[in-house]
Amino acid sequence: MTRQLAPWLAGALLLAAVPALVESPFAIHVCILVLMWTALGAAWNLLGGFAGQVSFGHASLFGVGAYTTIILYLRAGVAPWWGMPAGGLAAALVSLPVGLLCFRLRGPYFSLATLAVSELVKLVALNWESVTNGPVGYLITALPPLRLFGHAVDWESKTPFYVVAAALALAALAATALLRRARLGAYLVAIREDEEAAEAVGIDTVRAKVLTLALSAFVAGTAGGFYAFYFRYVDPDAVLGLSLSMEMVFIAVVGGLGTVGGPLVGAVFLTTVGEAVRERFPSGHLVFYGLFMMLVIRFLPEGIWGRARRLATGLQERALRHGAA
Amino acid sequence: MLRVEGLQVSYGRIAALWGVSFDVGRGELVALVGANGAGKTTTLKAISGLLRASAGSVRLEGEPLERRSTVEIVERGVVHVPEGRKLFPEMTVLDNLLLGGFSRAARPHQRARLEEVFAVFPRLRERRRQLAGTLSGGEQQMVAIGRGLMAGPKLLMLDEPSLGLAPVMVEEMFRVIGEINRAGVTVLLVEQNTEHALAIAHRAFVLESGRVALAGTGAELLANEQVRQAYLGI
Repeated sequence: MTRQLAPWLAGALLLAAVPALVESPFAIHVCILVLMWTALGAAWNLLGGFAGQVSFGHASLFGVGAYTTIILYLRAGVAPWWGMPAGGLAAALVSLPVGLLCFRLRGPYFSLATLAVSELVKLVALNWESVTNGPVGYLITALPPLRLFGHAVDWESKTPFYVVAAALALAALAATALLRRARLGAYLVAIREDEEAAEAVGIDTVRAKVLTLALSAFVAGTAGGFYAFYFRYVDPDAVLGLSLSMEMVFIAVVGGLGTVGGPLVGAVFLTTVGEAVRERFPSGHLVFYGLFMMLVIRFLPEGIWGRARRLATGLQERALRHGAA
Repeated sequence: MLRVEGLQVSYGRIAALWGVSFDVGRGELVALVGANGAGKTTTLKAISGLLRASAGSVRLEGEPLERRSTVEIVERGVVHVPEGRKLFPEMTVLDNLLLGGFSRAARPHQRARLEEVFAVFPRLRERRRQLAGTLSGGEQQMVAIGRGLMAGPKLLMLDEPSLGLAPVMVEEMFRVIGEINRAGVTVLLVEQNTEHALAIAHRAFVLESGRVALAGTGAELLANEQVRQAYLGI
């Protein structure tokens, strides 16, 4: 038990040390992005990596979370830190009918259906002006005051957002680790390996997939709520764009499908290098992502994390064999 | 125990079964034999709910199954071991077996059933930590049947268990199927290896182009001139 918890504790400590060590607001901003993308990659990985159901529409879940959080705050005065989980719940609710419909399709047909659903959601956001403000979107001018431990939280500093993002990413990775040990996790791998055989042994495959999609949607929606809270601005292009869905796929694939640590590795690689490229060319990061993705699929099909883990177990086994000989 | 009446199944507009009727009694080993495309696999899939019948009825101890989902059918004790083994190749043998015993009805008996499966297939105990995809064909078939037994079936439906196995393995597979049946499991066996299947079956039905063409005890059919010419090449 302690051996399994040790890496988590080390990771949490490392994350906690970052704000004390890093001074530059830009560097903290990049860390926040990495952590948000870790949560999003992990959300996608629950469904895509474990159950093998490739979704091209996760931006819609992210967007539902972002809109829920910002509308609850601006129209009903619900503070964004409550709005974030509410955004997650809203995304999970939206995912249920979507899942029941799309999971009737398999393989590439499922992926195309998710793409269509996400474009539908974007069209709704663009045209349902009374609720979504249409293409104009919403802007938060001031966040509500909050006192924690006797201090007023300074919303102009990046640190409070960093803490929220770190908690979100850790929670998403922990959810992945727990799912992998749960019965549902075994069902999902069975579905990925052979869906018909999974049905033949009595697994309710639709139920397992719908449940996983809801869990994935909750994480993606909560991350969307965080986006609204941090960037304070939500419009259809910013939170419902196709490129958001694709970036989630990239991060999960580059990091390693169906692994716990993969989304973190993928987010670190793609976000840091992506931000560097984005500074020079607008949208250049997408070209870079595409290129990187091709290289990874060609040379590291199991992802960076997957390959590293295999190398590590290989070394361990060799060491054991030498020890025994 | 199982009574199939007038079962019709179509793939799109192509009819595969034209009203298949047969029955399986408790404790029996019944074989469905016939040529490629006769509808043997389709019949099993329709019974286990993987395909929907357009007409006809499937009753297990009087209870209709034809509108039930696969999950509900497995819960009622009808377990289908699909053709081509259909294992989960990236999982260990042990995980493959355990997945067979996850249904609500089977969960409390997991440990005991695992021991039973290892008693039937001692080789699987040695290989339990190995990835299922790395086993030989015969061993994979053992895992597939073991996974079916983990559900504690009243009726075990085996689709082509001898397919693609070495001759020595084929003999072994039919011996084990007979043994499982003698231990009290009712078996519905679909086979292209007509000779072996008829030799161990109590009763058998010969399917031809989506209909039952002949029925009888295994021994009767083995002696039947028509069967010998059409399926045994004698």
